[in-house]
Amino acid sequence: MITTNSNHHTDAQLRVNGLNLSIHETPILNSVSFDVRAGEVLGIVGESGSGKSMTAYSILQLLPDGSSLSGSVELEGQQLIGASESELCDVRGDVVGMIFQEPMTALNPVQTIGQQVAETVYIHGGVSRRAALKVARETLNRVGLPEAEFALDRYPHELSGGQRQRVVIAMAIALKPRLLIADEPTTALDVTTQAQILAVLKRLVLEDRMALILITHDLAVVANVADHLVIMRHGNIVEQGGVQEVLATKAHPYTRQLFEASGHKPDREGTSLTDKPLLKVDGLIRDYRLPRTRLFGPSRYFRAVDDVSFQLHRGESLGLVGESGCGKSTLTRAILGLDTIQGGVITIDGETVNAHHTMALSLRRKMQVVFQDPYGSFNPRHKVNRLVAEPFHLVKDAPTGNALRAVIAEVLESVGLAASDADKYIHEFSGGQRQRIAIARALVIKPALIILDEAVSALDVSIRAQILDLLASLVDTHDLSYLFISHDLSVVRSITDRVLVMKAGKLVEQGPTEQVFLHPEHPYTQSLIAAVPQLPD
Amino acid sequence: MLRYILKRALSLVLSLVVASILIFVTIEIVPGDPASYMLGLNAQPDTIENLRRELGLDKTPVARYLSWVGGLVQGDFGTSYTYRTPVADMVADRLMVSLPLALYALLLSTAIAFPVGVLAATRRGSVADWSVMGTTQLGIAIPNFWFALLLVLVFAINLRWFSAGGFPGWEAGFFAGLKALTLPAVALALPQASILSRVMRSSLLDTLDEDYIRTARAKGLSRRQALWRHALRNAMIPVLTILGLQFSFLLAGAIIIENVFFLPGLGRLVFQAITQRDLIVVESVVMLLVFAVVLITFLVDVAYALVDPRLRQQA
Amino acid sequence: MSQSNVNAPAWYTASRVLIPGLLLVALVILAALVSFVWTPFDVTKLNIPAKLQTPNTTHWFGTDHFGRDIFSMIMVGARTSLAVAVLAVGIGLCVGIPLGLTAASMQGSLLDEIIMRGNDLVFAFPALLIAIMITAVFGPGAVNAIIAIGIFNIPVFARLTRGSALSLWQRDFVLAARVSGKGATRISIEHILPNITNLLIVQGTIQFSLGILAEAGLSYVGLGAQPPTPSWGRMLAESQTLITLAPHLALFPGFAIILTVLGLNLTGDGLRDLSDPRIRRR
Repeated sequence: MITTNSNHHTDAQLRVNGLNLSIHETPILNSVSFDVRAGEVLGIVGESGSGKSMTAYSILQLLPDGSSLSGSVELEGQQLIGASESELCDVRGDVVGMIFQEPMTALNPVQTIGQQVAETVYIHGGVSRRAALKVARETLNRVGLPEAEFALDRYPHELSGGQRQRVVIAMAIALKPRLLIADEPTTALDVTTQAQILAVLKRLVLEDRMALILITHDLAVVANVADHLVIMRHGNIVEQGGVQEVLATKAHPYTRQLFEASGHKPDREGTSLTDKPLLKVDGLIRDYRLPRTRLFGPSRYFRAVDDVSFQLHRGESLGLVGESGCGKSTLTRAILGLDTIQGGVITIDGETVNAHHTMALSLRRKMQVVFQDPYGSFNPRHKVNRLVAEPFHLVKDAPTGNALRAVIAEVLESVGLAASDADKYIHEFSGGQRQRIAIARALVIKPALIILDEAVSALDVSIRAQILDLLASLVDTHDLSYLFISHDLSVVRSITDRVLVMKAGKLVEQGPTEQVFLHPEHPYTQSLIAAVPQLPD
Repeated sequence: MLRYILKRALSLVLSLVVASILIFVTIEIVPGDPASYMLGLNAQPDTIENLRRELGLDKTPVARYLSWVGGLVQGDFGTSYTYRTPVADMVADRLMVSLPLALYALLLSTAIAFPVGVLAATRRGSVADWSVMGTTQLGIAIPNFWFALLLVLVFAINLRWFSAGGFPGWEAGFFAGLKALTLPAVALALPQASILSRVMRSSLLDTLDEDYIRTARAKGLSRRQALWRHALRNAMIPVLTILGLQFSFLLAGAIIIENVFFLPGLGRLVFQAITQRDLIVVESVVMLLVFAVVLITFLVDVAYALVDPRLRQQA
Repeated sequence: MSQSNVNAPAWYTASRVLIPGLLLVALVILAALVSFVWTPFDVTKLNIPAKLQTPNTTHWFGTDHFGRDIFSMIMVGARTSLAVAVLAVGIGLCVGIPLGLTAASMQGSLLDEIIMRGNDLVFAFPALLIAIMITAVFGPGAVNAIIAIGIFNIPVFARLTRGSALSLWQRDFVLAARVSGKGATRISIEHILPNITNLLIVQGTIQFSLGILAEAGLSYVGLGAQPPTPSWGRMLAESQTLITLAPHLALFPGFAIILTVLGLNLTGDGLRDLSDPRIRRR
């Protein structure tokens, strides 16, 4: 049955009480209790491993094999714990809708978006296929996918990430559920898209008087959207209450820690800015070849980087911000001399960078890189000492034996690890520790420039704050310059002197960081900065 | 879609051209002259020379290649060195046995593998699953010609349900022909069915781990509904690949199985031709089989596009 | 989470297939090795009076139409099967891996295109067709069987190597090595190869078992090892005419093939379960 507008005078839409979950005997949730009321947004915030996503899956009981769940989940007075699988199937999608983190994989690639949204409607019975498709059409219109551009017979691969997330939302709200659960719905999206999706969710809550549980790692996201806040850590709720109240009092030390880490600004007093240019990029052009559209037609190209020029001075920390697909990673690869460029010049200390093996090792050794993914950055078959020593390939009289060990010990200690870590394999380290090892690898040959390509984006806020502090302190001790590439504007603001803004392969604005953030000139920069969720002071 | 098919068709033609050159060159380097071999040791040099001219052996290799391929395209496979009859006729007769046999086996193997694979995947970890996995493990290890011998022993010699070999010809009626091909087809199909059910099972299980299955479950679909409505079609892509490969194995396997059952198919033709050094027959049969394999690959590519809209719209 | 906790059940699950698999393979290898120094009877000596005996205490698996001991012939036949399969897999590995690594390191280049097209082409020739062509030219024999199966193995390994190498080339640790100035060959050997060894070993055991089956098939139709070299496939071919008289002649060589292939497949599955945590859960 499709429930349309029933009355919403029940006090709490969802009442979770003493929820315990363990998976294969490992405790995941410990006595989790909270309420959500109709028309209200509950934010659940926590770092990785806090159990926030598992809380969501526990409500719908979509749990991995080997889970055991106890406690009470009461939805409009109906007890869900102990309900039969077919009763749960009736609840899922009809009374409770759910939205997931990864819009790129959340949709079935071989079915049209219309079919997939309509399925929610006719799987719960009582309507014809045609009526279901009609509901699907109306729902897609409601989430901002109008018929003119987004016909029902389009396939997921034809849509962008943000559009796909709207389709997922449409699937979840097609039957106007009483409760909507959104698990990190905007984490995989760009900041402007994130703002749009949050606005859609907020509007739907008001229109349908749903209850919304918004799960996120980002305190700033919920600060603007949620009415109530639950803060989780290690499977426990450490604090809950009204958003203003929780964020203003920060009664629990962990809340305070999370709050401070989210807006963390590393101490960067001693930066020795010079005006000697280290890296000069002049009129850089980078084209990708596209697959041919006609068998014998001419090749087509996509211009990923279009006439980009800038300078980076010695001792400077230069930020580069832009949304996904804007060409920032392509630019990084060109600067590192990994890809051939189609136009322009890149020089370091006056020497030209190119992607051929004619590029002098002495030039290559002036720059190193730290990547985003702490798990993919290391060959899992090598020990730390071999991993960290890899850049010595660029050095003619590289140290060997005991001298090498001493150098590695020194560099590991300088990034806050122990000398004895050199004999371990990479899987023995946490994400934050791996990022320290990546920094050690970049530092070991004492380069002049380190490119940080989303280097803190995959880390939890508290770990991120520590790595930012480390990066700030290394500038002074190692005479470094940074090119700091990120989609996260608040991080860029906290650690750079100047900033470049990139859009669709072009630099649209550049200038001193504070000036750009306070008085953005280009409309794109303005929209980016406006979209960033802010924590209250 | 059309562009995709054209692209595949072009690569099909290219493969055939290169394959024909390879086959021609291989046969070219065979020592000895077919003409003198055909006429025996006591033949007169001018008789040999006449025959060489008759067979076109006096022309340059390039000219002979072109005339061979030109003939193939028009359905002219040349003249058998041994029987002096058109190879095309010989091949056509034999094809009427080999092709139905391969298709029969493919049909059997698919008909067994699909339900078995789906059953095992839906009941992962159950007794049914374990017994499917055990049986198919054994099925993969059994050589089909040995299995054929066992079938003959049990169903032809002991139970006398089928004849032990031979083929009455399609003139004897469709069902008589089908009956004669049943044991060979079963022998060919069972090992292939084992492989296919395992691929079907693991492909389905992989697909069931995908995010969109979780999305479907959140919509209120039961495990089973999610499997039928969302997993099955996505799981077909690796299954199609294996199905395509299997056809070439079945064709090749048929050559061996024909020997067990004394079936007058391409396999027996090609072995006779080898012992009689009737190389033009060998050449033509190998080319024909390669054509069949390449054609199947093409059809599998087209099937991919029907299953997956991403390929359909690809440039 | 500690590493040992995760590994213990994995070892346990994998070992349930790995250990029987390894035992079977070891048994076959042992039989082949022992046959060099000792067999119960001499397989080259004919003993017509003792022909077509059913299994008994002297001749455990019985005797054939020349009175030769089947058990001894199966021991010696294991040599042929193993040798052909090992060498054919060796050809596949030695040619296929370098081709796959090269193609992956030059993805999208003309060379990559040529290597991959070449692979597709070889795929159009099932091993049996290659064997038929080689036999047509050079005559039948074990060496030609090795070459035929070996050629068939090349694209299998080349594709597997290229496919998995391509995804590794996208990984950040390879980028880091490039930033350290390492060239394609060095990266292929230092970073790519060690990370695909597991996959190659698993595929290797699968191709090994396919090689055993292919060799048996080729010898069965007379395209493999020639007399007097004993081979399982030819023993089956010879048994065929006597199948009503002495069915045991067909049974034992068949069992030998099945157990060898089963052993190799179980070993392959066990190794894969060990190296792939995703499949492990199944």
